[in-house]
Parts: sequence; structure tokens; C-alpha cells
Amino acid sequence: MATIDPASNERPALAKREPLWKTYKHGHHWPDAEAEFDAAKIGMWLFLSTEILLFAGMFCAYAIFRMKYPEAFVNGSHYLDWRFGAINTAVLLGSSFTAAYCVRNAQLNNQLWLKINLAITFLAGAAFLAIKFIFEYGPKWADGKRPGELFSYPFAENAHEPIWWGVYYGATGLHASHVIIGMGLFVWVFINASRGKYGPKHYTLVENVALYWHLVDLIWIFLFPLLYLIH
Amino acid sequence: MIAPLFIDGLLRDWFFGDRAYSDTSAYSDDLYMFIFWVCAFVFIGLNAFYVLCLVKFRRKPGVPQQRSSSHSTTLEITWTVLPTILLVVFFFRGFWGYLDKVVVEAQAEQLDLEAYKWGWEMTYPNGAVSLVSDRIDPGQLNEYPIFVVPEDWPVQLRMTSRDVIHSFWIPDLRQKFDVFPNRYTSYQFRMDPLEEEDRARANDAFPSGYRDHTLFCAEYCGDSHSEMAAIIRVASREDYANWVVTGGVELDKLTPVEAGAILYTVKGCAQCHSVDGSDNTGPTWRNAFGYERQFSNAPAGIVDDNYIRESILVPGAKVAEGYPNQMPSYQGKVNDFELNALIAYIRSLSDRAPTSLIDEVQGEPESTEEEPQASLNRPDTDDNT
Amino acid sequence: MTTIDSQTQGLEHEHHDHHHDEGSYLTPRGGFWATIWDWMTTVDHKKIGVMYLFAILFMFFLGGVAALMVRLELLDPVRQTAEGVVTGQMFNWYGDNVAANNNLYNRFFTLHGAIMTFMVIVPSVPASLGNFLLPIMLGAKDVAFPKLNLFSWYIYFFGSIFAVASIIGGGVDTGWTFYTPYSTTTDADHWRVVIMVLGVFVLGFSSILTGLNFIVTVHKLRAPGMGWFDMPLLVWTLYASAIIQVLATPVIGVTTLLLILERTMGIGVFDPALGGDPVLYQHFFWFYSHPVVYIMILPGMGLISDIISVHARKKIFGYKSMAFASLGITAVSFIVWGHHMFTSEGELAATVFSALTFLVAIPTAIKVFNWTATLWKGSIAVNTPMCYALSFLFLFTIGGLTGMPLGALATDLHLHDSYFVVAHFHYVMMGGTIIAFIGAIHHWWPKMFGKMYSEFWGITGCVLVFIGFNVTFFTQFLMGTRGMPRRYATYVDEYEIWHEISTYGSWILAIGLFIHAGNFFWSLVFGRQAPPNPWGGLSMEWETESPPVLHNFHHDPVATHGPYDFDDVQPPHTDPEEFPLPEPLPGGAKPH
Repeated sequence: MATIDPASNERPALAKREPLWKTYKHGHHWPDAEAEFDAAKIGMWLFLSTEILLFAGMFCAYAIFRMKYPEAFVNGSHYLDWRFGAINTAVLLGSSFTAAYCVRNAQLNNQLWLKINLAITFLAGAAFLAIKFIFEYGPKWADGKRPGELFSYPFAENAHEPIWWGVYYGATGLHASHVIIGMGLFVWVFINASRGKYGPKHYTLVENVALYWHLVDLIWIFLFPLLYLIH
Repeated sequence: MIAPLFIDGLLRDWFFGDRAYSDTSAYSDDLYMFIFWVCAFVFIGLNAFYVLCLVKFRRKPGVPQQRSSSHSTTLEITWTVLPTILLVVFFFRGFWGYLDKVVVEAQAEQLDLEAYKWGWEMTYPNGAVSLVSDRIDPGQLNEYPIFVVPEDWPVQLRMTSRDVIHSFWIPDLRQKFDVFPNRYTSYQFRMDPLEEEDRARANDAFPSGYRDHTLFCAEYCGDSHSEMAAIIRVASREDYANWVVTGGVELDKLTPVEAGAILYTVKGCAQCHSVDGSDNTGPTWRNAFGYERQFSNAPAGIVDDNYIRESILVPGAKVAEGYPNQMPSYQGKVNDFELNALIAYIRSLSDRAPTSLIDEVQGEPESTEEEPQASLNRPDTDDNT
Repeated sequence: MTTIDSQTQGLEHEHHDHHHDEGSYLTPRGGFWATIWDWMTTVDHKKIGVMYLFAILFMFFLGGVAALMVRLELLDPVRQTAEGVVTGQMFNWYGDNVAANNNLYNRFFTLHGAIMTFMVIVPSVPASLGNFLLPIMLGAKDVAFPKLNLFSWYIYFFGSIFAVASIIGGGVDTGWTFYTPYSTTTDADHWRVVIMVLGVFVLGFSSILTGLNFIVTVHKLRAPGMGWFDMPLLVWTLYASAIIQVLATPVIGVTTLLLILERTMGIGVFDPALGGDPVLYQHFFWFYSHPVVYIMILPGMGLISDIISVHARKKIFGYKSMAFASLGITAVSFIVWGHHMFTSEGELAATVFSALTFLVAIPTAIKVFNWTATLWKGSIAVNTPMCYALSFLFLFTIGGLTGMPLGALATDLHLHDSYFVVAHFHYVMMGGTIIAFIGAIHHWWPKMFGKMYSEFWGITGCVLVFIGFNVTFFTQFLMGTRGMPRRYATYVDEYEIWHEISTYGSWILAIGLFIHAGNFFWSLVFGRQAPPNPWGGLSMEWETESPPVLHNFHHDPVATHGPYDFDDVQPPHTDPEEFPLPEPLPGGAKPH
């Protein structure tokens, strides 16, 4: 006669199925899961340093051309609406918070909020891109405020504005591509999270993707004042 | 003391082929030999040591290596500090020689040099433009333009490029500098005075004799990079001044066809367009005028004066079928006189071009029969003196 | 290296036990297609290293053919005399059209440069031998991120396919440096340049991920008992070059990205007509491409350290100064890029970069002196790896010393962009990295494939390569000082004799390399079974079998001695008759 243990609210068949994060097995070449997690984090930080150097090239180009053609750059930043930049900064900063909260949720085994926060972060990335494309790139491109040879804005005040737009589209475009990649990563983490892969014992990917997202945020924190605010 | 100096002299000849022709380049040759001797000493010492070890310590079956120290602070500090001192000497000598090469002397003669794919053009202070007037050596490569500079007098070139990056190198001066589009760079030198053997070359154009140096483009710039050379001709100061005033070719004293034939080479057309009907990067000029031509981006049409003018100024407007759209625009680089001369020259190469009544009456040979090379051999050195 | 069956570890990690009694990593798993699939999806660092090795050797072959074509043109260049006669019969593919022939020549030297730099020398040692040896030398079962390792192999594979596609599509004539504005305007109506640059961009990721993997592996996966100063010097140099891979490669990433945008959209940053700056491109490009030559040479130096030490049976002289010199070179490598622009930048920049450039010579000199001192009182075996090590010392020293007149400003203004530079970097890159690489393939071939090669043909090949190399490239020093610019399809008569000698040398070089290729194939089929430790090495890879088992070691290894303690430790799996130890010091004292 099958009896149900009154102390447990769950059916016995389900109670046996451990969540995936509990049964996670670390790679065979690691002494333990902790060493593997540390290594993954070191690896991620190294990767973030390569990302910073990637953007360093853009910042360097910005600095050099600003030095060469200060008028074009002052002029150029007047074409940008700081309000859109500010909204996007807020969106990204907020999503950085939710990304950090994803890690916390995983550590606390708060599966529902883990998924909610992942989704919010993803949506914030989408909002960022929407604002960027609909309110910034779109109208500017239509006006002819385009980079380099494509430049066709009839009311240009400075001969070197095409260079300014080259730097603007180059830097923000590279950043936007990182936002898109980050959103893809959050989809991946979300799918894994729905399968119960992340919990207190194993949340490497959540942590690393959140780190990546913080970097994307950090770069925007530099791009925003350089492009929008400094006159 | 004599023997080492003798060896040094022999090696110099072997390394450089020819001596350095200015004080600054002589300095850098001395530096090169100084570095060479230090390095040769180190290199021979090291290799003698390898040979010694190979002979003395070659492995013999069953015999172990000897115990020896694998670390020696004194030794390691010595071979760190000694090279460092040498490197400091190398650096400072290199730096001083560099300053001598790049700092412009006061009162330098200012010449403008323009580089393009693939040739050089010099403008003298009086506005005279250097033109093709001689060859480096019959049997060698293409036509080289000749630029005349004064002996033992500071000269500064203000260099710029029309298209891509080039680099101006006179090996005999042991010095080069890059030439960029849209900016100026500078190159300065003071050529050694002419010597006896140079004076022996005296002719009508250069009564005091002259000496030639080759210059090369040293920055890769495309198909004819290796043919982008020119001659720097060192002449006495008087000869230089006289040559610049009278020797620069005055195109308006020639017939349009003759002027066009010279411009054909000077403006670089010869790099891509043949005049003998052979194929090249661009279509040939032989029998082009008056014939129908297919275009890859426009309906077919007859090659006429307006088409030629447009093709020189806006080459991409109509691209001849089967050829790349590669020609740079000559807008602003040829004036109307030069355009007319070029068109006249192209017309003269076609059997469909109208002939002039003057030629018919005077019975002169038709210009189409004339070898294009012949018109280039305008003996300026004889005419202008 | 003595392996101690680490009981405690074995108990704690019982799931490791299934590694016992498994076969060599080369043993096929299942049928033909199953084996292919196994190799394609493997995360084993050894298999990935072997796949890299053969891919790189194939690319080396392609780049070498291009080099031979370049030399063929220069043997008898196509050129037009004043009489209109076109000379040159060897390379006369386009009949009398000199410009078209020059263009073909330009495509060949670009092909040679791009393949050799991005697809051969940069990945050569780290991705192939490094991948194979680094974990074993550390006593690890794999690199830190095995899947990432496989991923970077596929990135290399597809990046190379981009480059090859561009070649099949007709090749590019930009030179491997892609200098703007030439690279943004040439072949204007074609995609080849974009594809090639995209290939370089993609290959960069492979390099970054390999470097990242190595850094983490060295930090986290050293065997118990192995301190930082117990690692073989190859690991030190791989670590040092991995730092450069991680920190410099992203810059070529952004540079190639901007170049692609410049070519496809004309964004203007490198276009002088719009106010862009072609010199900025050169700074960006060399900020990566100068450190990259240390990615190339550092692991070569590590290979030579290990080879000399093993075959001279001597502890490497000045181990710590060698390790720190590697890191010193890494540090200095980032601040010397400006010496590629002595003829295009201002006086101040040139002066600063000249001074910094000389700094590189100091750690390099320390290394050369240390190798030299290691030979003293050794027991020097004359075999193929040692012949290559001695060739390396000879050639690399010439390469390094000829860097002096290039670093000194006054002489550089003459030698810049001349054949002297061509000879200099071939002495460093080929005479250094490639010579070390070939020597190291011989040294570790028995370990990687479990087969011995023919020593006679190995030494014969080495002698031919050495002679051919010097004949090919020493003449180029003389051409350079005499005023021959680089990347010339034709030349004036003065240089003819030197070019002819150089071309003949390239044929000797090619014969030597083909002998090695033949020797390797022969050994795979007919070679004698290799013992686990044919050379009497002490680092951990000689501990395991030849070829190694699937997870490298039967037991988790523990480091009990340094990799170079030849005076005191009998190498594993060796006969004391064949590899005798010196008399022990009285009272068992430790000498050092």
C-alpha cells in the first residue's frame, strides 16, 4: 500500500529527480568544481580585457581625430540629442543591476526571479537598440548624416564632419553589436535556466554573462559623455 | 692600423657598392661600420664558443656530463650591463646622425616633389616642371625623369602624393622619407661637390659636368612600384640655375602633338596605356580615336574629343569594357593646354584622325608614322644651350 | 619526473579512475567514419594540437610555394627594355604585358606574407606544439577550457578558408600589411581584399582564445608540487606570448574592422581625401603586428631552451633570468611599434621609439648568452634537434644583431623598407621561429606519434636548410645596404647576381624541407617504435608513454624535481648506462 509521506508535499517520483545544477559534474581535468569556476572567471576577465583593448582602438581614433578636427567634433556632438543618450544610459545601468541580480538569484536558488531578471535584462538590451535605431540612427541616416563617403548632409558646417560620423557610427555600431551579442547570450542562459541548470552549486555561465553585460555597460558609460556631452 | 682600415674599406665597398655622397650619409655609414664591427666581434666570439663546446663536450657513450654551475650572478650582470652600454652608444650616435639628416639648413633651396602612381614630378622655385629628358641607361626599364640639384648646397624637398603612400629614397644619400597624400613631408640633403670624373662629363647643358644618382620609391604602391624610379642629377650651382631657367621644357613652344607625346610619359599615362596597340591595364591609344568603343557602364559610343576629355577628368564616367575602373582622376592636375595636347597626341595615333592641310601642303610625314619614342628623345641638353 | 601515485587524490576523485589502462590517444575509436567524427569533435588538446600541426604545415607549404614563385620572378624578371623588348622567361604568364606580370608578382608576395604571418608563424608553436605539450608539461589532463580549444581550432580553420577563398578568387595585391590608402583603393570593384581582411579578423579570435586558454591553464592546472619556477621554459615562453596574444590581438581586430568599414562604406578614418589619417592605420596595425613578432619568437626561444638543455644534458643556465627575460620581452614588445614608422612619423616619436626599441635587445642578449653558457661542460649529442638548435643560435643571432642598425635612427633611414629589412626579419622569423619549430617537431615527433625518424635524413635536411637559408637571405642583406627596395618585381642590373644567388639558395632550402617531409612520412609508416624517453628528458611529457595515453598520464602526476635537474635525477624510462649521472656530490649535498 503506497502511502505518501506527510512531511513531504511532493510526490515521491518527482522528489527523486534532482535539478540539473545539483547533478552538475565538473570537467574531468579539474580537481573540483570550485577550481573550474575560478578558472572560468579568470578566463572571462582576460576576455573582458581583450574587449577593452578592442574598444581602445575606437577611443584612440576618437582622441586623435578630436585633436585634429576639434570644430568638427564639437559640431558633431551638437547633432546628437543628449536626452536619448541619457535614457539609454539609464536603461543600460538598470539592466546591469538586473544582470547582477540574476547571479544573486542563482546563488540563492531563486529560480523564478532568476528567469524574470534574465528576461528583463534581455528586454532592456532590446529597448536600448530600439531607441538607438529608431530615434538616433534612423533619422540621422535619413538626413544624410552618414559616415565618410556616404555623407550627404546638405547643411554641414565643417569639412571634416564625415570623419566625426565615421567615428560615431564606428564606436556606437561596435558597441551595439556587443549589445546584440549580449542579448543572444541572455537567451542562451534563459533557456538553460528554464531547464534548471543554474543554482547555488553551479552558476558559472550566469556570472560570466553578467560580467560581459557589465562591460558593455561600462563602455557605454565612456561613450556617452565623449560623444554626447563634451562640447 | 693600416690592415684593419683596409679591411674596413673593402667591406664598405662590398656592403654599399658605392660611397656615401653627403656628410650626413658618410656619418651613417661610419655608424653602420661601427655597429658592424661590434656585432661581428660578438658573433664570432659566440660561434667560436659553440665550436669549442662541440669539440670539447661532444657526447661520448657512457660518459656523463661534468657538474658545473647553472647560475652566476657576476656573469649574468656583466652580460646584461655591457650590452646595455653599447646599446646606449648605438642609440645616441643614431640619434645624432638622424638629426643631421632631418634638420633643414637655413637658406635651403626649396623644391616641390609630387609622387603619383607611378612616377615623380619636381617643381622648381621658378615654377619650372621637370620633364622626361633623358634615360638612365638605354636598355633599362622605363623612362626615368631627371631632377637637377645643385652641388654642395642645402636642398629641401617638400613632398606630397597624389594617391597612395610612396617613399622617396636616394640610396647614395642613405636616406628616405615617406610621401603621403594630403600632407607634406620633408627631405633635405647637401650633395657632395662634383669630382674630376664628374667634371669630365661636361656637355652643353652642364658645362661643369654632372653626376647622377638613382632614386627609388621604397613604399609599395602597386603594379609599377618597381619602375617608379628617377635620376637626381647633381650639377654645379650655376649649371643648376641655368638649367632650371632654360632647361625645363617649355611645352608651348612645341606642336600640340609633340607636347602631348611628352605629357604621355610625364603624366604617367604610359604606365597603363600603350601607343603601339598592345594591351595593358588600360586600353591602347593606337587607333582609338574615331573608333567605336564598348563600355561596361554606358551604351557604346565613338571615341571623340569630348569622350577623351571626360575620361581624363572623370575616368569612371564611361569605363571601357574589359578593363578595371582603376584610373585616378586628373581633375586639377592637367590644364586646358595640356588636355588639348594630349587629345592631339591621341588623335595623331589614329588612322581615322583628320590630317592638317599644312602637313599635306608641306608634305611632312604624318605623325602616325612617327615612333612615339622619337618625340621623347627631344634633345633638350643640346637645344637649350 | 617521478610519478607518485597520489593516493589521496585518487580516493577523492574516483571518477578519474576510468583513465587507467586506456590506449594511446591515436588509437582509432570505432570504424573509419567514427574515427573521423571523433577527431572532428574531439576536445583532447593532443588531437587538436596534431590537427593544428598538419593544417599549419599545409599552409607553410602554400606560403612556401608562393615564396618560390617570388624568387622565380626575381631570378629573371619580366621587364621592358627601351627598345620595347620584354625580357624574362620564367614568370612570363601574361606575355609582354609587364604591368600585368608585376601585378601577379605582387599577388604572390602578398600571399606569401599573409599566409606565413597569420596562418603559419603566429599559430605555429603555440597552437600546435603548445597545445600538445603545455598541459602535459604541467602534468594536467587537458587545457583549462577544452571546448574553447576546439572552437578556436574551427575559427582557425574557417579563417584560413576565408583567406584561401580570397586567393582562389584571384588574390590580393596589398602586401600583408594592408597599408591604406592603397588597400582601400586597389581592386576597387572586387571583394577579395575584404575577404582576406575578414580572414585576418577571424584568425585573430583563434589566437586570442588559445592565449586565454594557456594563461588560465598555467595559473590553475599545474601539477601538485610544481611551482612557477619548476615549469619548463617552453611553458614560460608560451605564457609570455599568450599575454601578448590576449592583449595585442584585439587591436588588429578593431583595425581590420575599420579597414573593412573603410572599404565597404568609406567611413573615412583612414582616407586622406576626407581628412582621415593613413599613418593612424599604420600605428594601429603595428600596435598589434609588432608585439606579434614576439608571439612568434618567444615560443621559439622556449623550444630552443628545452632542446639545448636536454641534448646537452645540462641544467639551463640562468633559469630565472630566462623566465624574467621572457616577461621582459613581453612588456617591452608593447612599446616599440613606432619603429616601423621611422620614415613617416615626427622626430620626437622616432627618437622615443628608437630608444625603446634598443631595450628589447637586452633580454634577448641575456637569452643568447644563457643558451651559450648552457653548452659549457655538457654532454652534447649531435642529432637533428640539436643541429637545429645550433642553427637557431647562429641564424637568430644574425637576425638579432642586424636589428641594431635598424633600431639606430641614422642608419634606419637608409635601410628602412629595403632588402636589408627583408633579410633581417627572415633571419628572425624563419631563422628563429621556423628553424626552432622544425627542430622541435623532430624533438617531440617520437612523443607525438610514437615513431622514430631517420637521423641521417634529419641531419641531411637540416644541413641543406641551413645552407639554403643563408644563401637565400644573406645576399639580401647586401642588396639592402646597396639600395634595393623591397617588394620590387624587377630591378636594375646591379642587383642581378645577388638575386640569382638568392633564388638558387631558395631551391636548396626547398629541397631540405622536402627531405624532412619525406622523412616524417617514412617514419609514420616504417619508423621504429619510439621509447617513452628517447632523449633522456626530464620534463613531464617524457614521463608518459609515446604516444601519450588518452588522458596523458596513468596517474595524477606530482612534480618532485625541476625540469632541468640533469645532474641529480635519472630521467624516467632511461637506462643509466645510456644516460649516466655524474658522481654524486660528497655527503649528498645539493650543488645549487
